[in-house]
Amino acid sequence: MHIPDGYLSPSTCAVLYVGAGVGWYGALRRVKSAFTTRLIPLISVFAAFSFVLMMFNLPLPGGTTGHAVGVTIASIVLGPAGSILAISIALAIQALFFGDGGITTLGANCFNMAIVSSLVAYAAYRIIAGGAALVSRRRVVAAAIAGYLAVNAAALCAAVEFGIQPMLFHTAQGVPLYAPYPLHIAIPAMMIGHLAVAGVAEAAITAGLVAYLQSADSALLQRTSGGPASSPTSEPGSPHRSLRRLWLTVALLLLLTPLGILVAGTAWGEWKASEFSSSQGRDRIAAASQQQPPPDEAPQGLQRLSTIWTAPLPAYAPQFVKSRSVGYLLSAMFGTGLLLTFSWIVQSCLRRVATDHSG
Amino acid sequence: MGGAFVSDSPIFDVRDVSFAYENVPALRGTSLCIAPGQSVALLGANGSGKSTLLRLLDALCFPSSGSIDFRGESLTPYRLRDEQFAFSFRRQVGLVFQNPDVQLFNPTVFDEVAFGPLQMGWTSPEIVTRVNAALETMAIAHLRERGPYRLSGGEKKRVALASVIVLDPEVLLLDEPTSMLDPRSQSQIIDLIQNWKGTSKTVVTATHQLEIVEDIADRVVVLEQGSVIADGTPPEILSNGELLLRANLVHAHRHKHGDIVHSHPHLHSHGQHEH
Amino acid sequence: MTGNRALPSTLVGLARTFAHALAAEDLARQPGLLQSLDPRVRLIGISSLVLAALLAHRIAVIAGLFVVAVALALFSHVRLATLAVRVWLVVLLFTGIIGLPALFLTPGSFLVTSSGTVLPITLQGLNSAILLIARVETAATLTTVLVLTTPWMALLKSFRALRVPPEVVMMLAMTHRYVFLLAETAGQMFESRQSRTVGVLDRTAQRHMASRTAGVLLSKSIELSNDVFLAMQSRGFRGDAKVLTEFRMRAFDYLSLIAFVTVGVAAAWVGRS
Repeated sequence: MHIPDGYLSPSTCAVLYVGAGVGWYGALRRVKSAFTTRLIPLISVFAAFSFVLMMFNLPLPGGTTGHAVGVTIASIVLGPAGSILAISIALAIQALFFGDGGITTLGANCFNMAIVSSLVAYAAYRIIAGGAALVSRRRVVAAAIAGYLAVNAAALCAAVEFGIQPMLFHTAQGVPLYAPYPLHIAIPAMMIGHLAVAGVAEAAITAGLVAYLQSADSALLQRTSGGPASSPTSEPGSPHRSLRRLWLTVALLLLLTPLGILVAGTAWGEWKASEFSSSQGRDRIAAASQQQPPPDEAPQGLQRLSTIWTAPLPAYAPQFVKSRSVGYLLSAMFGTGLLLTFSWIVQSCLRRVATDHSG
Repeated sequence: MGGAFVSDSPIFDVRDVSFAYENVPALRGTSLCIAPGQSVALLGANGSGKSTLLRLLDALCFPSSGSIDFRGESLTPYRLRDEQFAFSFRRQVGLVFQNPDVQLFNPTVFDEVAFGPLQMGWTSPEIVTRVNAALETMAIAHLRERGPYRLSGGEKKRVALASVIVLDPEVLLLDEPTSMLDPRSQSQIIDLIQNWKGTSKTVVTATHQLEIVEDIADRVVVLEQGSVIADGTPPEILSNGELLLRANLVHAHRHKHGDIVHSHPHLHSHGQHEH
Repeated sequence: MTGNRALPSTLVGLARTFAHALAAEDLARQPGLLQSLDPRVRLIGISSLVLAALLAHRIAVIAGLFVVAVALALFSHVRLATLAVRVWLVVLLFTGIIGLPALFLTPGSFLVTSSGTVLPITLQGLNSAILLIARVETAATLTTVLVLTTPWMALLKSFRALRVPPEVVMMLAMTHRYVFLLAETAGQMFESRQSRTVGVLDRTAQRHMASRTAGVLLSKSIELSNDVFLAMQSRGFRGDAKVLTEFRMRAFDYLSLIAFVTVGVAAAWVGRS
């Protein structure tokens, strides 16, 4: 899953570096504000642990062997901020010292495997584990599921990054300049391997580690347990608590967006002005409105307003995406990603305001 | 009988200190006074509380009851938060950990030795000069660009020592400095400690190896299960077999001489023993 | 797949870590072209060449950059055999496999041989595959040469020039240091478990063994980090990460930097399609 140099265009790399930068910035501020400079050696050692863990060749059911990343156990023990930093550091060392993974694609790799993964792992773990006791079996199951989802989320991001290359970056003669496979090939190709192997490896290792910690040192699971001791910097009822619930929900929605593809047709009321003039469009509107025939022309207001703003992604599908369902998924991810990023930034600013006022 | 060496201004004044690691007591009501310039051996078996005491003396953790004074100043978390006091204290007191890997967390030997001075805010040229001097003193100048994973046990210990002495501390706390070393490295470390013995430096060495005590200390404090059970000169302590047995520093097993079976405390490593 | 193959391959991976580090350390000490440059110049210079390889769309230009990369390697005492085994063959294998289907799947005009047979390969597919391989090879060669000639700490310190926060540099340094310790510990644990195991373990047992080893490694890691924190505090660490940088740019460094960037910009400009 480590993307080497050459597969992603410079602009893709730049965008993902910016995305990763936002994640790093937020994580670093969170770590520094937690008054525990103790986290610096802890994150470093966790990064080293993740690095070594990535070398373990795990025999999996079904006859394959796979590698885990360690992002899930990092999120569970350190929290998402610490995990973002730890895994990013491990990836940086792999790229810069051992040459695994490219330097232009370090931002992309960190975005996929450190940032998106950590957030998905943390959200899934918190939601599924709920308020269960630290040593309960439910937490082990939650950890396994979180691991599976986290790795596949990262793989999906990578697949999308690969898949949009030929559409966006090709010569006039149609030669793909970077990764040559469009989305409908890239996504299945990447996902099959991760759904069947890498995801299972991460799930297995994470579950094993959580079970081990439950018996060896359960205090380490405290930070993300959701109890009062788990967030030392928050006061009860502070604004960031409700924001956290918000982005947890959004993360969950992101995971469920593929279901939206199953719903066919357009939602009621979301019709274009042009649909009023075509006979097919008129039939559709009528069918959705209990067989009431629509007016002969689009309402004047609708006509005027519809020319003001042309959305960058009209019909939820960028023009170059041929398959409608994939376009839908792509936009959902993009939109959710924007939302998550935005709420993260707002969260950090609000926390800064809170500590400024209380300090 | 060797009583406590009380002087008018002890450098360390430990008063009735207790400490527990997560409900497991490590020190119980320990009291001790150390005068400046003394070389003290903290003698005790593993688990007797020696390492804990050293960490308390270095203000890395704080007692749950009792107090520790350094040059008349009480060592409390509050006091250590004051930057000026903290830097002054950290420079004056240096601790060498038992496990050198814990203390070698920089990528090269040079950077490791430079870490302390860097934290203290010395200027770059000063740091470079002092680091080179410390490397020379410990005879490891040829290792300056090496990574810690390429060092032998003895070399690691010398790097750890260099990283502490570069700050020129007045007090040296050494936790099992000769453990797991080959004989030559051991004697090098012992020579070093002996050099400090006559000077104004205060040295506190925690060890369970009786054979080095006479070389490195002029006073021995024996710890057993978190309490001080004896305090005297090396000859006094080392000749007290019952005491050493009680502190689990020697063993006794029966052996036969002809038809007579007897047992007495002894060490196998300490040359001949007489009957 | 037989039982015991997975764990030994892990051990091999761990051992390779040390081998690589040793090789890099030795090479970084040699008197070569790159080694004589300020590490910041090396980092920025080589990055600009990698970027140029990405921006150029013409294979000839990318090939030119590849030649530059090989020249840098030769002048810096990096053996071509090392590069061949470590980079070129590996990339050819992986990117070759990944790129092969592109020959057949990329839409476009099918190739026709001189005898008139229509091949299932398109011109666009062929160009795309060649471009991809050329880019990946060139970029990988450049980054490998950078990494082999620059000691880790020097590289990290040059990040400060890129405004990377000192805490991050400190964490990168510590992590690098402890990777070796943990790899060694993990290796020892695997070896000792293997030697205590009679016969071939089934896959589930192997997985559990790997899991337990990971668990113990994790516990030791966290314990280690606690002690490391105490050791850091003992020498005056109070939360402000500080990095000692003694780099000084000489005229040669400035000239080299200009040369690197010029070549990069020229390549990107000439190679635009």
